[in-house]
Amino acid sequence: MSGAAAGPPHAPAPGRAPEISVRGLSRRFGPHTALADVDLDVPAGAIFALLGANGAGKTTFLRIVTGTLLPSAGEVHVAGISPADDPARVQARIGYVMETSRLYPELRVQGFLRFLAGVRGLARAEREAAVERAIERFELAPVAKRLVGNLSKGYQQRVSLAQAFLHDPPLVIVDEPTGGLDPVQRREVQELLRALRGERTILLSTHDLGEARELADRVAVLHAGRLVAEGAAAELLGRGDPLALFRAAPAEAGR
Amino acid sequence: MTALLALCRKELASLFATPTAYLVLTMVALVTALIFFDHLRLYNQILFVYATATMGGFDADAIPDHVNLWNNVFAPVMENLGLTLMAAVPLVTMRAFAEERARGTDELLLATGLGPGRIVLGKFAVCFLFVALMMLVSFVYPCTAVRQGGIGMEHLAAVFTGLLLHGLALASIGLVCSAFTSSQLVAAVSGWAVAFLLWDFSWANAFVSEPVAAFLDAISLHPRFGSFSEGLVSLANLAYYAGLPLVAMALARLSFDLRRIGS
Repeated sequence: MSGAAAGPPHAPAPGRAPEISVRGLSRRFGPHTALADVDLDVPAGAIFALLGANGAGKTTFLRIVTGTLLPSAGEVHVAGISPADDPARVQARIGYVMETSRLYPELRVQGFLRFLAGVRGLARAEREAAVERAIERFELAPVAKRLVGNLSKGYQQRVSLAQAFLHDPPLVIVDEPTGGLDPVQRREVQELLRALRGERTILLSTHDLGEARELADRVAVLHAGRLVAEGAAAELLGRGDPLALFRAAPAEAGR
Repeated sequence: MTALLALCRKELASLFATPTAYLVLTMVALVTALIFFDHLRLYNQILFVYATATMGGFDADAIPDHVNLWNNVFAPVMENLGLTLMAAVPLVTMRAFAEERARGTDELLLATGLGPGRIVLGKFAVCFLFVALMMLVSFVYPCTAVRQGGIGMEHLAAVFTGLLLHGLALASIGLVCSAFTSSQLVAAVSGWAVAFLLWDFSWANAFVSEPVAAFLDAISLHPRFGSFSEGLVSLANLAYYAGLPLVAMALARLSFDLRRIGS
């Protein structure tokens, strides 16, 4: 990986205000509570993993942070800006990596990246440079002219990662980055993410304990919409049976 | 503006990446040609019957005034073209929003900061462009006939404006239907249903009070389209056709807001 080809670094700085600050966040869908009274700070410059079983509320949390979903209660701030009040400003700071299938299969890789750079508002020269940089960084040159729909899942995930870095955002949100990938592809994507450490803030949603342990500086565990544990990855996932965190009630797990 | 243009370029690429756009264009061109030449054939037969009725050879003076190219070819072709568009346009608009929702790429688009307003504007603009292309393709034959028949360019311009506005109105209806579902089939079928319902409410006159009947007439497509087809351009009809896409865009925009609020 040519990790050095990226833009300006966003190194973690102790004492800096958190990149994401969440207070009393709740989200209900009719009678179902997806998130309940979540308080969380994501430090600037860290790789922060949001852990939880399927249906724990991770994607709902990410959608609220990106401003595509409104909270039922509570407050979220990204670099001091509320995504509920000013989604466009928050989204300008965010690169969002969704699950593999959420791409445009009918576009060619280069065309897809140009399109995303365009909707990010990059002017022509800037856009071409950003696309070139992304293709180089995520090693997409061999498939640049191929249709996104004809790529392997591993390459599709690289394309998905590449689009999130086009506008050089200080915060990258990655939802289930290795879901559905084979072990080799999984390793490749994890190496790509590891190369980003210290460069900018990464919020990673996963249900893979090993992935969180390997990649993250800090971890928060969601269970049935509640935050049941939060702390340094090595400390939280290195003790006892980490799987218990997926089942624990908040009082049992502690904070 | 850069972002909006990027979206429009991508929408055009996506539209022509599938056979649907080509099939619809071909279908409309073929159906129009078929209807046109069929009416032209009938017109020639009628002319022949009148002109030879005296059994004394061809007598052009024996053809009544009401038998002319306008009444017998152009007007019925326009009417049929209006209905053909009702069948064809939802096939183009069905994918605009529904496909994005089904694939989840709408969230990717929203997360880029493009905003629902610009997404709606871009998708409407590209579909309108496609409908205008469809109009051009289908207007060739009637134009030829009109020029042969000596009808004025002003009249022709009024008819074409009406046809274009009618197509844009149908596209607006189809796009709203697409904005509220993730199924392209549902989007197309509901687009047809709403368009056919709005086509003509005169059948309801016998069942509703006079004010309601007047209201239904005011929102019907056919009276406005028919007026343009006769070469009449009125401010009220222009306002109707300008208002419909605006209402449709507002509704499509609302669909994004409703999903952001969730339930």
